[in-house]
Parts: sequence; structure tokens; C-alpha cells
Amino acid sequence: MKTRGVSIAACLTVTSLLATACSGGGSGDGGEGDDGPVSLTFQSLSDQPAAIEATESIVAQWNEENPDVQVEIVPAGWDGIYDKLITQFNGGSAPDIIHYEAASIVPFARDGYLADLSEHMSEERRADIPEGILESVTVDGQVVAYPTELQSYMAFANRAMLEEAGVEIPTGETMTWEELREIAQATTSGDVYGLAWGLASPTATFMAMAPQFGGSYFEGTGADASLTVGEGEMALPELVHTMAYEDQTILPVTLTQSGGEALASFYAGDVAMTVQGSYQAANIAADAPEDLDWVVLPPLEGPEGAGQAANPQTLSVNIDSEHVEESARFIEFVTQPENLAALNEADALIPATTSAQELMAENLGDENGWSTILSSGQHFTSAPYLFVDQYAQWKDTVATPAYQRFLAQETDAEQLATQLQEGWDEITM
Amino acid sequence: MRALVRPAQYAALAAYIVFLGFPLLWLVSASVKSSGELNSLTVSLLPQEWHWENYAQALARQGLVGSTLNSVLVALASTALVILIAMPAAYVLARLKGAVRTAGVGWILVSQVFPVILIILPLFLVLRTIGLTDSLVGLALVHTTYTLPFALWMLQGYVSAIPEDLEEAGAMDGANRLTVLRRIVFPLLAPGVVATAMFSFVSSWNEFFFALVLLQSPDNYTLPITLSSFIGGEGKVALGPLAAGSVLAAIPSIVFFSLMQKKLTGGLMAGAVKG
Repeated sequence: MKTRGVSIAACLTVTSLLATACSGGGSGDGGEGDDGPVSLTFQSLSDQPAAIEATESIVAQWNEENPDVQVEIVPAGWDGIYDKLITQFNGGSAPDIIHYEAASIVPFARDGYLADLSEHMSEERRADIPEGILESVTVDGQVVAYPTELQSYMAFANRAMLEEAGVEIPTGETMTWEELREIAQATTSGDVYGLAWGLASPTATFMAMAPQFGGSYFEGTGADASLTVGEGEMALPELVHTMAYEDQTILPVTLTQSGGEALASFYAGDVAMTVQGSYQAANIAADAPEDLDWVVLPPLEGPEGAGQAANPQTLSVNIDSEHVEESARFIEFVTQPENLAALNEADALIPATTSAQELMAENLGDENGWSTILSSGQHFTSAPYLFVDQYAQWKDTVATPAYQRFLAQETDAEQLATQLQEGWDEITM
Repeated sequence: MRALVRPAQYAALAAYIVFLGFPLLWLVSASVKSSGELNSLTVSLLPQEWHWENYAQALARQGLVGSTLNSVLVALASTALVILIAMPAAYVLARLKGAVRTAGVGWILVSQVFPVILIILPLFLVLRTIGLTDSLVGLALVHTTYTLPFALWMLQGYVSAIPEDLEEAGAMDGANRLTVLRRIVFPLLAPGVVATAMFSFVSSWNEFFFALVLLQSPDNYTLPITLSSFIGGEGKVALGPLAAGSVLAAIPSIVFFSLMQKKLTGGLMAGAVKG
């Protein structure tokens, strides 16, 4: 009797699977019927419910206004997306429109998987994208993607703790690192530290902010790139080290935490400030205790300015798509100021175009420090590391462990510089 | 002294159960905490306030229920296929002597050393040729293929543990080979089959990478793919809804295990062979 039950269950399972297989139909291949509309597949990585809703709304509006070119959203997650895309490209089943990030699409562009959008990008859009951001999606002279959303690193402060320490809240267009250090010193007292900085994976942060100290790390592109670890590159890691161990103004445990984990100390009042990705403004607004009066401090500025290396999220077009032109038209539509502002509002990120930044600033006003965060959008510079073939390997196997050892006081600055350089030489030999 | 042994055994067992169960308890606890509490320094198993809306958010997430059903179908199908193929194969491997057996066992071991990333592209191309990418049937076949070597290895160990004397005794009583298998070997193999089925089910249920690469349509996504969408770019994680989704996702697996664990009993052969 029991055996019969198991057999029936097995038969039902197999039948269901076959029925699913027969009715599945698979994803669109970007083709169309003889007279039907063009169908485009758009692999979207939007993950937040609000962002999913904003994306669906934009696509619905496009589909309504363009009955001859219909776009279908194929949702996907960030986890493992590189492997999925590389298989899709090699297997000839990649979607027409691809949502990803600049740091990861450069290798795809170099391998010839992405269409050149230079001719499709309107002059209006090109002029609207700050130069540094546009450079981050330009590979060998070809625009391979439209930049859409970015984050910058900002300092968030507990207003009450700063005021109690007699510190005047900075309000200028920018704030120097020296000011940050002084405020951290002024607010450090007893068990309370001036700053929490989640640097468990420090390489991205140090790379992004190196331009403020004149650091670029890499010169050249592709396999010909070379690494330089000089004063400009070492300035920020050394500053963090000094603040943590000489000034003793950084809560040490946070150096081993992610940005999100470091926020807990900020919420608990154990630290007066924290350096975070700008998108955390939305999380702080949602999660901070009600009595925590917090403020976003002006963008940080080093001796060489307030520039931060841009690694925007992007929209690209599969070079094998039968409808590159239609896909580019759709991306032009998505990157219209009102659409881009809506997407970035939903994701709590900074739009990649000036007009969308202005529109978002207008919509949000000074709510949760957004006017300050959006002002950092004009300081983005190009990121040389995006165009270096061996960067990902160097980052994971050399740079991150070397920075972690340095921040744990296992090595000194000289040893750090040597490890970064020798690790690079070993990889590229 | 002897009187203390039994309580000590129970205490050790209870500690072990707490050790094993704590992550699950923590998951349940996280599933009803607010985002603010999850991101605070206050650590407690019981939430300060119960936030059931995490479950509503998890259920509202695109395709959670559908992907659970897909995972159930794929896991059950691949488990059934693995058992169907592994049972006779394991018997042959365990009873066969000579070079063929050595080669078979060797191949099983060799097949385990290939990293998934190495085979994914050729596998994708093969499945694409036969129209089985973006298909639950294709995924079930891949899970079967991937799980089979270890399942075979597991099961042949159980077969080897059955004394050949029992089969000889059956033969002496007039049973033919098929009857011996059906009436003597397979019933004694039941605990091994259950253990192997559990292993196959869990392997398929948790499998992420093949599903990620092979499945294209959201309608076909399995549970690990849908749950991964709670982890976003820029390090954003919807921890409460993710925990709630994971708790809901564990239910079919728990039901399967509750049904199967009764069968997972040893000692069936106690006293079967005397002398």
C-alpha cells in the first residue's frame, strides 16, 4: 500500500515536471513574429521592492507608448550574476538589455559581448553625464553602457554627540579629512569613539577615495596596466591606521565589520560618526532609534579635491541582440531625468546624470541629508581600476588581505606597500 | 556512579540538540524582528516586538510560492531518479568482483573532483542543444547526474553490509535472483535508501549554481534563486524578509524529513544471521 503511494507521488512529480517543461516556453529570445512587435528581454537586477516597482512602472509606460517594441523584464539577483552572464553570452542566450555595474562589464566589453552604444547615445544624454562617470563606461573609445546609479562614501554624524563635544556641525560644500579627524578626536571620550568605519573589505573604499589624495593606483589599461603604490595611494590607509591606533578615535572592532554591521555602534551611541556608502541614508532613516538625531556631513575632501572614483550601475546591450537600436532607444527612455530620478529614489542611490540629480534634489529637498549626498554626485572621477584586466584577482588575493593585515597592525605601511606591489608583480608576471 | 550515567547522557544529548537547533531558532527569531532591532547591538533570542510583516513581505516577494513548488518538484524528481538508478547499480558494484568494479568505483571518485564551474558551460551547451535549458526537467536531470556518484557510493556501502549468506540462504530455499533481490536485499536496504534519498533531496533542494545559470524565466526559478534576490547590490540585505522567506522555505523540507526519518532505522538485520 505504502509502495503504491510512493509510486503515485513519483508519477505525479514526473508528470508535473513534464507539463511544466512543455508549457514553460522559455525566455524570450529577442525575436519577433513576421508582423508582430519587436520583443526585448531586459535582465534587471533591481532588488528592493520599491526599485522593482519603479522598474516595472517605467517598462509599463514604455510598452504603452511603444506598441511596436515590447520589453519584458527578466528579474535576476546580484548573487552569481557574473557567472550567469558569462554562460549566457557563451551559450548565445543573453538578454538584449543587461543591468550590471561598470566594474564588471568592462571585461565583457573587451571580450566583444557588448554593443557599442556611442552612436546611439543622444547628445543630450552625453552632455548630461558628468565626464568622470562617462569615462567609467567608455572602453577603448566606445561607450558600452549607460550609467544609471551610483553611491559615494559619506560621513554620517550624531548631531547631539557633536554638539555635546562643542563641535560645530560642518556645513560647507565639502569637509576636509583633517576636519573629520579633529571632530573624531573631540568626540572620543571614555567608551565613546569618534568614528565607526566598516572596513572588512577595504579595497573598494580605498580605491574609490584615493583620487582625493592624488592616488590612482593604476596607469594604462587591459593587460598593459601597471600599478603604482606611492604617497597618494598610501595616504588614506595610513590616515585610517593613525586614527585607529594613534588617535584611538576609530572603534577598532568596526574595522573588521561590513558597513552595515558598523551601523549598530552608531545607533547605540557608541560612536559619534560613521563613514558609509551614501545609500545607507535610507537604512539609517528606517532603522535608527527615534531619538537619534543624525546628519549627513559634507562630502569629504583631500588635498587633491573631493573626487571619488565612479563605479556606476549600468545598462548595456548584448552585441548579438537583433535589436540593438531598439534596445538603445529603451535605455534612452529609462535614463530620462524623471525615470532615473524615480529609480534612484527607490534604490537610495545617486543618479548618473546631472539633470536627474537636480530633479531628485528638488523632489527630496533636504530630507535625510539627500541634498548633501546628491551634491557629492558632481565629484565623481573616472576609476582607472575598472579597465585593468587583473584587478579583480589582485583585489581578492593580494590587496584585501594586505589591507586587512595592515589595519590589524600585523604589518606596517612599508610592508603594506611592498605586499601590494609584489603581489601585483607576481600576478602579472 | 552508574545512576549518573543516564542523566549525563540525556544532558549531553540535550546540549547537542540545542547546538544543532540554535541556528534554526535564531532564524525564526530573526524572521519576526524589525530591521532596526536586527541592526542594533542588543542581542536577544526573543524579539522586543513581533514583526509578522516580514512574512507578508516575503510572501509578497515575486514568485516565492511558485519557486517553492518548483524546488519541491525538482527535488522529488531528482531523488526518485537517483534512487531508481543507484539501487541496482549499487548492488552490482557491491557484489561484482574484478576490474570492472574497480574501474566503476574509480570513475565515481574521479567524477567528484571536477569543479562545477568547469563543467557548467559545456553542460549549458549540451542542454541547449536538446532544448532543456530553462526547464525544470533539465534541472532535475542535472541534479540527478550531479548527485548520482555520491549516492551510488553511499548505497553500495549499505549493500556491502548485507551478508551474502542471506542471499545464499534464500537461493537454497528456492528463490530465484529477482526474488532474492525483491524479498531479501531491497527490504534490508531500506534504511540506506532512505538515507540516500534524504541526501539527494537536500542536495537538490539547496542547489544554487546550476539553477542560477540554467534557468532563465522567473516562472521556473527554484527557491535558492528567489531567496538570493533578498540580497541586493551594494551590500543591501533585507534580513527580516530573508529570514521569514527561509523559514517558509524550510517547511516542505521539514515535512519530507519528518516522513522519511521514521524509515531511517537500523538494526533490521539483528539476528538475521546466526552462528
